[in-house]
Amino acid sequence: MQEKAEIRSKYWLAVFLVAAYTIPFAVGIYTENVFFDLQWLADLTTVILNGIMQGGVYAMFAVGLTLIFGVMRIINVAHGELVMLGAYLTWMFFFYVGVDPLLALFITLPIAFIIGLLIQKLLLNAVVGGPELTPLLITFGMGLTIIHIVEAIFTTDYRTIPYAPDAFQLTETIAVSRSKIISFVMAAFISITVFIFLKIHRIGKAIRATAQNADVAMVCGINIFHIYMITSGLAAALAVAGGALVSIQFGFNPETGVLYTLQAFAIIVLGGRGHYIGALIGGVMLAVIESLISFMIPNGTAMVEIASYGMMVFVLLIRPRGLMGPKEN
Amino acid sequence: MAQNEHLRNFGMLAILIIILCALPSNINLYQRSVIMFTMMYVVLSLSWNIISGYTGYVSFGHVMFYGIGAYATGILVVDYGWHWIPTLFVGVFVSFVVSLIIGFPVLRLKGPYFAIAMLGAAEGTRVVATVWEDLTHGGEGIGLPNIENSFETYFAMLVVMLVTIIVSYWVGHSRFGIRLNAIREDEIAAESLGINSTFYKLFAFALSAIFPAAAGGIQAYKVLYIDPETEFFILVTIYMKLFAMFGGKGTVIGPILGTFVLYIVQEITWVKFPTAHLIAFGVFIVLVARFMPRGLMGFAIDKGWARKGMVH
Repeated sequence: MQEKAEIRSKYWLAVFLVAAYTIPFAVGIYTENVFFDLQWLADLTTVILNGIMQGGVYAMFAVGLTLIFGVMRIINVAHGELVMLGAYLTWMFFFYVGVDPLLALFITLPIAFIIGLLIQKLLLNAVVGGPELTPLLITFGMGLTIIHIVEAIFTTDYRTIPYAPDAFQLTETIAVSRSKIISFVMAAFISITVFIFLKIHRIGKAIRATAQNADVAMVCGINIFHIYMITSGLAAALAVAGGALVSIQFGFNPETGVLYTLQAFAIIVLGGRGHYIGALIGGVMLAVIESLISFMIPNGTAMVEIASYGMMVFVLLIRPRGLMGPKEN
Repeated sequence: MAQNEHLRNFGMLAILIIILCALPSNINLYQRSVIMFTMMYVVLSLSWNIISGYTGYVSFGHVMFYGIGAYATGILVVDYGWHWIPTLFVGVFVSFVVSLIIGFPVLRLKGPYFAIAMLGAAEGTRVVATVWEDLTHGGEGIGLPNIENSFETYFAMLVVMLVTIIVSYWVGHSRFGIRLNAIREDEIAAESLGINSTFYKLFAFALSAIFPAAAGGIQAYKVLYIDPETEFFILVTIYMKLFAMFGGKGTVIGPILGTFVLYIVQEITWVKFPTAHLIAFGVFIVLVARFMPRGLMGFAIDKGWARKGMVH
């Protein structure tokens, strides 16, 4: 019985994903935005390529969220605010000191690690394993504080970092913006580094052990509160790195963080909560759907946000495990 | 529950009503507006309390129903020339229907997933209000005719607040409320005792959706201009949550007390420190959630100033 429901939910998820990818095309055909000539196909390829590049960055900060969730069963609603904070840190170093946004990572990542460590130490360590909603409210209040501190310092104006704005011509008609390629490569590099760290380093192994079973990890001599702090620092560093890579592509203001939280959450729900590879796949899938929507639906850029909400709610309803998450117990 | 305790609670309510009825003719327009908005937040935090305090499904997107009510009033008054009072009922009805449509799937989610799904639903409604330009005038918003009388809106809000308090009180003291509490404590155990949890959750959700719509409608008529950014502003949800939590969620007196204390504090502070007060609010949410999860009422009960029965 259980097995059957399991398999059925898998099929329903597949149906939902096919529908999610088909709807933009259907609306595009209905509103006569789809032409099926060579030029249009080239544009479509461009859009999908850009979406994949975008997805790498989404995936990177979603990995931070999924890491925290996997280890501590906490949903950090302030994750998007950390992304936004990362964008502002990078902007500050770029604008006031003149550091290249990618070189600035060497300074911002340690700062982010310490911020994450402190948040965990001061606020979250005491509530891990308690009622699920307390950490949610705490991180929510934290996010609000971060937004308004940033707003008090930098005002609500949109900021941008002019960085590699030109496009890279793959063929005569297909082009990908250079800043997107750079951030995709950086995101891939950072994600792979984190995976390798989790796989082979002693601390990485301890983190995975804590995620599997905190009590047994504790019995084996792992100080789980140290592991929580390191995890939180790592997640904050991933978020801030995501912010740095976002900042060279888009404008940002203090309020943009909420959207990143929702996107990251939609990604980890789709990929499977606590599953790292799932987060990567989910990130790319969400970004491709978003770019298809903004390409084919008129007034679509305003509707991009709906993609992540819809994705999140439907996947939670159809198959809470997501694509490759562990079984619910 | 002793009979005289009901009498005492209604006595307290009657004193509150008499004070609020006597106030408006003795104070100036600004103070009248502040009191009106305080009453509005009493309505909002009490409604939030029905689904989140009694039933334990913490909603991060209740501003959605408030925005729907505001838009119903705005559209009907401006585009269809209605009088503003009947539009409140339309807003309530629309909000009721929307709450059933959204609640049926979303209430299957538990704990944090419900919270985030509601956050998503509210943001989604905001996007719809921005994109559906034929109905809502899109991002440019709706300007309402300036024929508002501050006494009318004041007393309308007073009536809505009264109804909300009485319904909350009824929910808190009836078998219905006890069933909601059972769902909050342990949903599976409640179901095994024969409580149809889907029905009760949906009913509680619909109850908590209709009052914000009425409050939103009155507010739209009062402030004369609505747009998606202000009517679906996440800060409104934050306020209702914080007020209810500060007072003590799951109680009737808690949200009322919390709103009267905190809203007036924030009104005073925001005049003096326009940005710092939001930072302080964020810190305050963290502190309340971390150190005082049961709010002022929980504190009062621990001290023995209030009977435990008043919580439920």
